[in-house]
Amino acid sequence: MRILNILVFGARCIALCVALHALTACGDFSSVRDPRALYIHLGSEPGHLNPITSTEAVASSINQHIYETLLDRDYDTAELIPRLAESWSISGDRLRYRFRIKKGIQWSDGVELTADDIVYSFKTIKDPKVACAPLKVYYIDVREVRKIDRYTVEFRYSTQYFRALEICGTIPIVPKHVFDNGTDFNTHKNNRFPVGTGPFRFERWDTGKRIVLVRNERYKGKAPDLHRIVYRIVAEPNIALQMVKKGEMDVMSVRAIQWVRQTNSKKFNEGFYKLQYYLPAYNYIGWNAARPLFADRRVRLAMTHLVNREAILDKLLFGIGEIVTGSSYIHSKGYDKSIKPWPFDPARARELLAEAGWRDTNGDGILDKGGKKFTFTFTMPSGSKFAERLGTIMKEDLSKAGITMDINRYEWAVFVQKLHQRDFDAVTLAWSLSWEDDPYQLWHSTQVVGGSNFCSFKNAEADDIIIRLRKEFDENRRIKMYHRFHRILHEEQPYTFLYCLPAQVVVSRRFNDVKVHLRGLNYLEWKVAAIDD
Amino acid sequence: MIKYLVRRLLLLVPTFIGISLITYAMIRLAPGDYTTLRAGLQGELKAGAIGTEIIEQEKKLYGLDKPVIVGYWDWFKKLVVLDFGVSRKDGRPVAERIGEALPITLSLNIISMIIVYIISIPGGIVSALKKDSLYDRVSSLVLFVLYSLPSFWVGLLLLMVLSGGDYLNLFPLGGIISDWAEDFSFFDRMVNIAWHLVLPVVTLTYGGFAFLSRYTRSTMLDVVNQQYIMTARAKGLTEKRVVLVHAFRNSLVPLVTLMASILPGLLGGSVIVESIFSIPGMGMLAFEAILARDIPVIMAIASISAVLTLIGILIADILYAVVDPRIRLEARQ
Repeated sequence: MRILNILVFGARCIALCVALHALTACGDFSSVRDPRALYIHLGSEPGHLNPITSTEAVASSINQHIYETLLDRDYDTAELIPRLAESWSISGDRLRYRFRIKKGIQWSDGVELTADDIVYSFKTIKDPKVACAPLKVYYIDVREVRKIDRYTVEFRYSTQYFRALEICGTIPIVPKHVFDNGTDFNTHKNNRFPVGTGPFRFERWDTGKRIVLVRNERYKGKAPDLHRIVYRIVAEPNIALQMVKKGEMDVMSVRAIQWVRQTNSKKFNEGFYKLQYYLPAYNYIGWNAARPLFADRRVRLAMTHLVNREAILDKLLFGIGEIVTGSSYIHSKGYDKSIKPWPFDPARARELLAEAGWRDTNGDGILDKGGKKFTFTFTMPSGSKFAERLGTIMKEDLSKAGITMDINRYEWAVFVQKLHQRDFDAVTLAWSLSWEDDPYQLWHSTQVVGGSNFCSFKNAEADDIIIRLRKEFDENRRIKMYHRFHRILHEEQPYTFLYCLPAQVVVSRRFNDVKVHLRGLNYLEWKVAAIDD
Repeated sequence: MIKYLVRRLLLLVPTFIGISLITYAMIRLAPGDYTTLRAGLQGELKAGAIGTEIIEQEKKLYGLDKPVIVGYWDWFKKLVVLDFGVSRKDGRPVAERIGEALPITLSLNIISMIIVYIISIPGGIVSALKKDSLYDRVSSLVLFVLYSLPSFWVGLLLLMVLSGGDYLNLFPLGGIISDWAEDFSFFDRMVNIAWHLVLPVVTLTYGGFAFLSRYTRSTMLDVVNQQYIMTARAKGLTEKRVVLVHAFRNSLVPLVTLMASILPGLLGGSVIVESIFSIPGMGMLAFEAILARDIPVIMAIASISAVLTLIGILIADILYAVVDPRIRLEARQ
């Protein structure tokens, strides 16, 4: 009887295995993939792909292949180079910028691009009925854009500005013949079906799943080797990495922990390049100088001495990243590399705090001054794992120095409002920068009210430099100004500048000619390895 | 009965207005608004006061400058003609966005619900009949263990183990259909979708077993201890007949209460499951809309949920009235 039972059990197991096998075979629906298609991970879905109304970084990363601008930045030097523009000239008073467009450039629907498209794009940006506030502010000082002839346009500035050429040259250009049909620009159907002049044209958008671009056969520049770019939308980063490993995606920006822990196997390294590059951005802790606690420079400097940036970089970011000391891009000419970060030095911090009047007079372990204890709140956006862990480490380190820190986490919308209302003591955030940044928005004293100078930084010399810098067209003189400004920030410590963190990208070895440029990766130069070898 | 129904139906209108007004007011009064959020931190304030002016201009464009009650009235007038407005994220009609997400969520939830019911109700009945037996204890333990496992963990684990390729490669890694599935035949497409749905459905269902089966168990226990069940047994009826006809039918009465939550429950997707499995359903839509303060989408989803909840409650009440004569009597009085 027992033997019979075992036999029956065995038979059932075999049947189950056969069934499972059949099911597995049934689940193999992999269709033939175009080997010249590049599959890229997108962590979130853009709302639409109109370069005028869209503010999302994901949309920009897709739009850069569909749309073109008059000028572009060189991938290696980040210098301005011609793209749609054939040539340009600047008037002696530096208020007029004239661009000559290349002839014969076609939109992906076959219509020729002309000066009218640029004039229309500018008027659209200025139109109060068009929802593009973030873009509008760049063009506040542009008085008008005039069509000189079919292929020539002129931008007229109302005041001199050192970034004017870049701002005029990178104005987003949309096709007038598509959008100017009397319908609302904000909800126009072509916002999701873009028509551009770039190397790729829009093919399809499966909501929540993928956006597909296909090579634009009308493109006048060098045709890319890739036939298609498929952006796959996967919100969960662990699953996205699993898809990469399975060969379902070719390119993905990975998180620090994935970079260090999950992409180090021999098998992975045989199948993928691991690439790093630094884009202009940094994160920081901002001290609200409008609050009496942080109005004193010595207290802000003491706080910087109490933040162990080296240890945090090692512990939380696996040592990948660079400590920054100022607000310019770390690899730009304006960044003064001779300035060294303030060290982690609790003893010096205590001296500075004592100089500012903060002592533990009643022996309760907490510093006080005039009967008030040294207590403040640290405001952070909820959901930021780095901020969360940074806060925990700071809280512990500061408590050893007699400072009590509470942590407030807010959902992003509320966090932004708190900043606008200056309703915080200290805050942590990151800024992304231009290749050559204009410090006016963040650091000029006029921007304390209504601007982005949230931490109420006020310094007469810095104000003067910022104003002069905006009208200085000699690069060497401008660099000197940047360096002096950098030194002031270092001494004043309105922020504790933290890190510039690299973008970390994994790319399938299916592709050849994958190079890391100053600006990052350029898909247009990639070749499909399996086919060309 | 008809008078009772009419009274209940008439009550729906003010209740709905109350719910939608409170929802609208809450979104409008909550800190942070769409325009400031969208403009982010860098762009809009680059030019200081002028930037703020531009933001105010944009608020006007979206009607965010109007008082809450005026804004609500504008929204309500459109709703009367079933116009849910336009989503702020992508400028598409809200109805279209819901129309894309709803079928996915509905099918996921209906399948999950059916599986939960098919497994939990018989399981609960058997537990009640075999109270305190080994089966009862073990099944309770297993169900509670399942109940306490967080779905994001289970979902990720299932995907990593069964789909990742490192261990087994039995299922697809997320999504609801393979790429370029339009080339497949209808049958293949259906099988493909079913294959994609296995892991999300498992992740959605296992937690529901504990609740429903314990609920069924306790209502069944109440009923089997009633005198009429003893009478039925004393009459010599078969155990099957006593349990399935007399006890089970009456134990269903409290299950009617669940009706109220079933309808809106079908519509609301699970953010966690949808995000892990890359499913563009209602959960993700609602979650993203709330974070972005996309008022037209939030209001549309809230209104549909409110209407379905009210209808669910109404159906539950009608069913009560049908099965319980005391309610009919009260209504008449």
